[in-house]
Amino acid sequence: MLSRNFRLQRVGNLEWLQRNYNFSHIAFFIDELIVLDVTRGVRDTLAFCETLKSLAAGCFVPITAGGGVRTIDHARQLLRSGADKIAVNTPLFERPEFVRELVAEFGQQCIVGSVDLKRNREGGYQIFIESGSQSLGDEPASALSWLTQEWVGEVYLNSIDQDGTGQGYDLAMLNQLPSRCSVPVILAGGVGNGTHLAKGFADPRVDAVATAHLFNFVGNGLECARESLVKQGASLAVWPTLVDLGLKPNG
Amino acid sequence: MADKVIIVDYGMGNMWSVFSALRFLGCSPVISSDADQVAAADTLILPGVGSFRKAMEALEMHGLDQALREAVLVRKRKILGICLGMQLFAEYGQEDGDHRGLGFISGSVERFARDELGALKVPHVGFNHVRSSPDSVLFNGIASPSDFYFVHSYRLLNSGLPGKPGLCHYGIEFLSAYEYENIFATQFHPEKSQTNGLKLLNNFLAA
Repeated sequence: MLSRNFRLQRVGNLEWLQRNYNFSHIAFFIDELIVLDVTRGVRDTLAFCETLKSLAAGCFVPITAGGGVRTIDHARQLLRSGADKIAVNTPLFERPEFVRELVAEFGQQCIVGSVDLKRNREGGYQIFIESGSQSLGDEPASALSWLTQEWVGEVYLNSIDQDGTGQGYDLAMLNQLPSRCSVPVILAGGVGNGTHLAKGFADPRVDAVATAHLFNFVGNGLECARESLVKQGASLAVWPTLVDLGLKPNG
Repeated sequence: MADKVIIVDYGMGNMWSVFSALRFLGCSPVISSDADQVAAADTLILPGVGSFRKAMEALEMHGLDQALREAVLVRKRKILGICLGMQLFAEYGQEDGDHRGLGFISGSVERFARDELGALKVPHVGFNHVRSSPDSVLFNGIASPSDFYFVHSYRLLNSGLPGKPGLCHYGIEFLSAYEYENIFATQFHPEKSQTNGLKLLNNFLAA
């Protein structure tokens, strides 16, 4: 689990997350979970899968996993460790034939296209690949033309500039999407509070809002942010608490 | 609840999530692809993600189709089919070319048709409202409608079935849950549907 304060920062493992943020409680206030292996260099897939399994054991929502997926086998390992969907970033642009292979093997609904965008000096945008380390030459609009086709199941659009700042989403980034985008859009990067989530959700081009910044939602912060979204008319799923339903962990 | 619960593993789908949800509820399920074990089980869960034809071929290859028919139709053991697992209960599936199903639910699994969806997208992904039958066992203690997580492109319709349907609307009203005697099924993923799903799984175990 990494946070970013203008640079990647190691914060702790799953136990740390549970101890400090009571993640198993927080997990009851999200619709979906996205877990990315952002290791630079050689990834330890086995260790990542073990973490994924522990996470999935107490989190009863769909889980998207990704980070460095380059083979069908790697994807299958993640799916067998509790993931429901696979996120791919660099292959969308560098190896589209591999993404097609993933879609053929696991279905369109299983593949999430993850795209990192960054503002440039001219006021435009550039797509970055390889964990944000390399810029793509093509204009985002043409590089994202696949969003008008039914190719991947969803797109996860992240602003490199806003990510980790807590200053709110970059909504102007959405102008880079093709006008007839037929793929559901998950907006990410920059959330610092519930109002930011609501602003993202209010944009008609956005289907889901994401945050990696749990630090801004300590205690019952996420629960309150969710309640407030629903009060503002957001169409979110509703479920009672375990106690309401007379359930408790381990029977 | 003391009965042995077997999650049928035929290489298609997310065993770990179903296993974890049952563990959370205090049950100790066994994941098995052994036909004898499945045929002799007390309680069965058939999960699944992927194509109908590939799934049936995988079941047939392991002799699991006959084992499931033996347990469910002859020995009347309770079974819960989840997502593709529910679709496999049908007589036929049209995904990837026509293929025979397990035949626990009469009807054929067909793709959402363009004309019934309008601007809606396929696959149907995300939480959606499910209306349950008033005296449903699966939905006991769960409000109607309630939200459950779906991800599918094919569906069964509720036409002339004898049991209790749970219905969902996505362009067309389709069969999102079903129960008849010892046969239980959900098109949605209870193991991915937060507390609503945990409650439903708990109801199935207690049935």
